[in-house]
Amino acid sequence: MENIAYILFICLVAPMLFMVLMLRGRSRLLVGYMLLGVFVSLFVSELNTILLSQCGGDMLYVSTTVTPVTEEIVKAIPILFYAVVFSDNRDRVMPIAFATGVGFAMFENMVILAQNVENVTIGWAIIRGFSTALMHAICSVVVGYGICLVKKRPKLFRCGTFALLTLASIYHGIFNMLVQSEYKYLGFFLPAVTYIPLLFKHYRYYKNKKGAL
Amino acid sequence: MKLILIANIITCVCAFAGFIYGSITSFKPKKAVYPQMITLAVGCMAFGKLYQVVRVLTGGEIFGQFQLGVFGYIGSLMFLFSANFGAMDSLADDKSNTFRKYRIIAFAAPCAVAVLYALFIFSTELPIMAQVVSAVTTVLAMHASYYHLKHLIFPDVDFGVIKCLRPYNLSALIYISLCFAEMIVIGTGNEISILIIDVLMGIILIDIIVLAERGIKKWKI
Repeated sequence: MENIAYILFICLVAPMLFMVLMLRGRSRLLVGYMLLGVFVSLFVSELNTILLSQCGGDMLYVSTTVTPVTEEIVKAIPILFYAVVFSDNRDRVMPIAFATGVGFAMFENMVILAQNVENVTIGWAIIRGFSTALMHAICSVVVGYGICLVKKRPKLFRCGTFALLTLASIYHGIFNMLVQSEYKYLGFFLPAVTYIPLLFKHYRYYKNKKGAL
Repeated sequence: MKLILIANIITCVCAFAGFIYGSITSFKPKKAVYPQMITLAVGCMAFGKLYQVVRVLTGGEIFGQFQLGVFGYIGSLMFLFSANFGAMDSLADDKSNTFRKYRIIAFAAPCAVAVLYALFIFSTELPIMAQVVSAVTTVLAMHASYYHLKHLIFPDVDFGVIKCLRPYNLSALIYISLCFAEMIVIGTGNEISILIIDVLMGIILIDIIVLAERGIKKWKI
């Protein structure tokens, strides 16, 4: 089916857009950034199609070397914008980074589902939901966390941001490579293995903060 | 290729050990940004090497074509440069004329890197992508090495901050040299040399984190 990505985009974004207008404060910000993630996903899918044709249609090479870089750069733009223009407070940036990653992954899953509707299974949904979506969210969170870190000093900011993007791209590349190989089960567990320490750290951060207050 | 895989696994394991140690010790509330950046530099190398390990295991090429493993070197050099330039240099150097000679002497490191790169690029025939990647790595290595040498020789006037970090800066300089040496050796295709360099790099990556942490513990401000 032609234009399936655009059809899904309109179906998803239109009602959520109405909801965003009704919301206020942090809820609006979170849903808004989730929508931005969806938009970024659509943009990247077009960009990747162009890059795939430029690289001679070698899907494996493009998905393990090119798309991780493009996806991480484009996904980081809304987070970077928020950190530069509004606030570099970790408590604010981390949730919007996660929302961007989740929005991105959600739309990517929807497009893949619509394109392969005959072949998808519950197993596919579990893998996409628990590993790929989590991986996208983790990459965005790492970039968001790092931006809060480097934004504190102007001299750190530019070079530090690029370095963070390289880190996120490598992680994304490792995941893409693993899930397309015979070691795919390692790939499926990689985001969970990264997520658990991050979650633990996050809880400890809030516990310490509460204690300090 | 088996030796290359072993070499990458060794560096990857050592870098991950350093990264985990650094994550536990540096990412605490109210800790300085400096050790966090160093930890991220080691983490970048760990993930870059992991990428190369996975690529070899899945039957891919790591030398023939561009792959994301090189981002490990690029990212780690960026983080090392950012740490010294962004978080440390302003504490050490007040930009006065008194220390001009140290700033000039520190240029020896980037000059040496540039000369080595020129020799390397004229002695081997690399594909255009490899030339671009090696040029980017060289530029970053020049920037990072300047600050590491500067902080190695700079007199400690005010806070005793630089003096404590001299062993770390020396290790970081060795690490940059090893990155560069690996780039040159990969061009020749000598697997034994790559293995030796990667083992040394693994040791240095742990060393960097430990020495930085030890140096920071001595800070009195």
